[in-house]
Amino acid sequence: MNRKILITTLLLLIVIPGMTTAFTYNSKEFKQIIGQLDMQGHADHELSTCSVKKIYYDEVIEMLNGGKTETEIIQSYVDEYGQAALRTPGGGTSGWIAWGMPAAGVGIGSVIVGVWLRKLTVKKAESKLETKEEWTSEVEKEIAVKTFDEERRKLF
Amino acid sequence: MYLIGNISIYLGIVISLYGIIANIVGIKKKSSKWLESARGAVLSLAFVASIASFLLLYLLGTSQFQYKYVASYTNESLPMAYKLTAFWAGNAGSLLLWAFLLALYGAMVVFSKEKKNPMMPYVSSILMVNILFFFTVMALNANPFEMTDKIPADGKGLNPMLQNPGMILHPVTLYMGYVGLAVPFAFGIAALILKRMDSEWIKLTRRWTLLAWLFLTLGNVIGGWWAYLELGWGGYWAWDPVENASFLPWLTVSAFLHSVMIQERKNMLKTWNVSLIILSYILTLFGTFLVRSGILTSVHAFGDSNLGTYFLVFMAFMMLFSLYVVMTRYGLIKKDSSPIEAYFSKESSFLLNNLILVAAAFAVFWGTMYPLISETFTGTKVNVGAPYFNKVMAPILLVLIVLMGICPLIAWQKAVFEKFMKNMLWPLAMGVATAIILFAFGVKGIYAIIGLSATSFMFGTHLQEFVRGINARRKATKENILKAAFKLTVKNQRRYGGYIVHIGIAIIAVGVISSHTYSTEVLKTVDVGNSIKTGDYSLKFNELTEHTKNGNGIVVADIDVTYKGKDIGKIKPEKIFYETWPEPSTEVSIKTNWSQDLYVVLSSWENKDKVTFMVKVNPFVSWIWIGGIIMVIGTAFALIGGRPTTFRYQINKGISKVGG
Repeated sequence: MNRKILITTLLLLIVIPGMTTAFTYNSKEFKQIIGQLDMQGHADHELSTCSVKKIYYDEVIEMLNGGKTETEIIQSYVDEYGQAALRTPGGGTSGWIAWGMPAAGVGIGSVIVGVWLRKLTVKKAESKLETKEEWTSEVEKEIAVKTFDEERRKLF
Repeated sequence: MYLIGNISIYLGIVISLYGIIANIVGIKKKSSKWLESARGAVLSLAFVASIASFLLLYLLGTSQFQYKYVASYTNESLPMAYKLTAFWAGNAGSLLLWAFLLALYGAMVVFSKEKKNPMMPYVSSILMVNILFFFTVMALNANPFEMTDKIPADGKGLNPMLQNPGMILHPVTLYMGYVGLAVPFAFGIAALILKRMDSEWIKLTRRWTLLAWLFLTLGNVIGGWWAYLELGWGGYWAWDPVENASFLPWLTVSAFLHSVMIQERKNMLKTWNVSLIILSYILTLFGTFLVRSGILTSVHAFGDSNLGTYFLVFMAFMMLFSLYVVMTRYGLIKKDSSPIEAYFSKESSFLLNNLILVAAAFAVFWGTMYPLISETFTGTKVNVGAPYFNKVMAPILLVLIVLMGICPLIAWQKAVFEKFMKNMLWPLAMGVATAIILFAFGVKGIYAIIGLSATSFMFGTHLQEFVRGINARRKATKENILKAAFKLTVKNQRRYGGYIVHIGIAIIAVGVISSHTYSTEVLKTVDVGNSIKTGDYSLKFNELTEHTKNGNGIVVADIDVTYKGKDIGKIKPEKIFYETWPEPSTEVSIKTNWSQDLYVVLSSWENKDKVTFMVKVNPFVSWIWIGGIIMVIGTAFALIGGRPTTFRYQINKGISKVGG
């Protein structure tokens, strides 16, 4: 009898914490997973009016409460729908190209601009106007010159 | 009515064809009569497009359901404002709107004070080719005056999502931006055809380009505002393909507006500028192609016809034509280009800024098109959603903000590093202070802190430029601070208009970074009398009531809201059940203060006493709208004043001579 009580108590101790930590729509883990899923194009829809999104939400909650990890849940969707299950490109060549191309674009663009600048730039002695310490900034110089002009026009 | 509508469309085709031919004959024969006649054709086009547009408005307003378009997008119970704005709810109407705006722009251009400019016949021909295309597509594929086989008792009604003030303004402003870009494009091509490689076309189109940019900005901001209020997901920008389509030309025109300054002052970057304006124009066509082709999944429900093919063909034609003109004049453009004098100069920094803007455009384009590219070449369907764009665009936009902070401090021709560092001291201190304050207040998220500090640095630079300008003016004139500030900005509208736009961008950046990083969301089911607590807010659910308005069923939740324990009134999110629409529409309820929005959605209910709400606290979202307004004010300020830069330099040169 005592053994039965002991086993039941132990089982309850194992199950109760699991029950109290049941996942909800507000759980961080849930939000993290759901944020990665495209949900057949319904990811940005409003939950209350989108039945497809609701199904996904409930499925993910069920899987989380069933003890599945984030990786397992995501993988289960990728197994079912392929890369199209995710909101962003995943691994593989296709994913690398998707993520790498903007960086490559910036890199190639920088090289082009660099070469262009080199071609466009001529070494020239510093202009006298620029080296004068009369003006502390370009703006100050321009504003003052314009203001002098206005004053001149007023006077003459 | 049917006859008038259809005749106006076919007349549009005939007149634009005639106008193009009259221009060609006029140019060939050097006949002012023919050119005058072509000008008359542009005016007639504006008249014909106006007749067609006002007729469609009349048909929509008076519920003439014998017309397919009216029956498809309106119904009897629709308020008059939305009946009229159904004009641009569908393909046929929005094409007519495009043609109408383009014809109006065309008439304004050819009857401007530059009407005798030799470029004008070419400009008007290019604009008329565009108008011809739109009228032809309407005649062949999307006629707004097509009749129904059987007159329905009532129309289908307007998509509930479009029944919002944002949707009255968003499409029109965006179209005015799109259409407006055809003008600088036409001038650029005209200048190339005429082999006029100076900066005249840039000076002539400065205001048109700024106007187009202003409307593109306004269109995008209003679009974001509409999405935030109407779509119910709590965000304002989803990187949807159609949103991206309007963002792409905005980025390239932003680059163009900066690089033309170099051409105006220094006679540089001619090829680059003409390429940028061609690219921007092509991107407006590309955007329209994306919206109408349905090749990509989007929340914008236009992609239900084969209109995309027409746009693809036209886009290819315009692209090849532009490319041909540029290639045949390439040698001439390069011939008298001036060099840059130093790596470390404003010219170089503008080039870098251009690189970043174009890189941003490329990244957005790549992300938008990648699902299609991937499926075509690898057979694998890949989605590219908001998280991708956020990750890719964040560093690019961060660099852009830093550059916006640095560029105003660098001198033209050749900057001196020590002077630059001295100028950067205070703005940099402001950026660092922001980071320290954020850390001290326990704000988390290193990337957000970096972004906010960079924004603060950028804002600091512009503030310093204002202060310096005012001080310089006061030193020279002994004016009081207010008069000096007023005169400084009024006498330098281009510069300070631009700075105001940058300040607007800084404010938007604070809103975007904060709302993206620090937003919280709770989805909770509550019984009557129970409360939801989130952040400093507490929401007590009182009751769920039902009533009808315009024949539609409305369910409203009544909620008392307290902020930091203090009662701040009620909030009433709704669900509207439209008679003519299968799905209910969500009307979110928002309480705004200077630092955050409480955003509540009535999600669902089991019965009247047990309701589920989505409650979001979005920090600084209102800053995005305020920043947008400031950007528009800054652009308008630069637009209404300011002479071409070269003109100002001539004055300055004159002064130098007088001063010896």
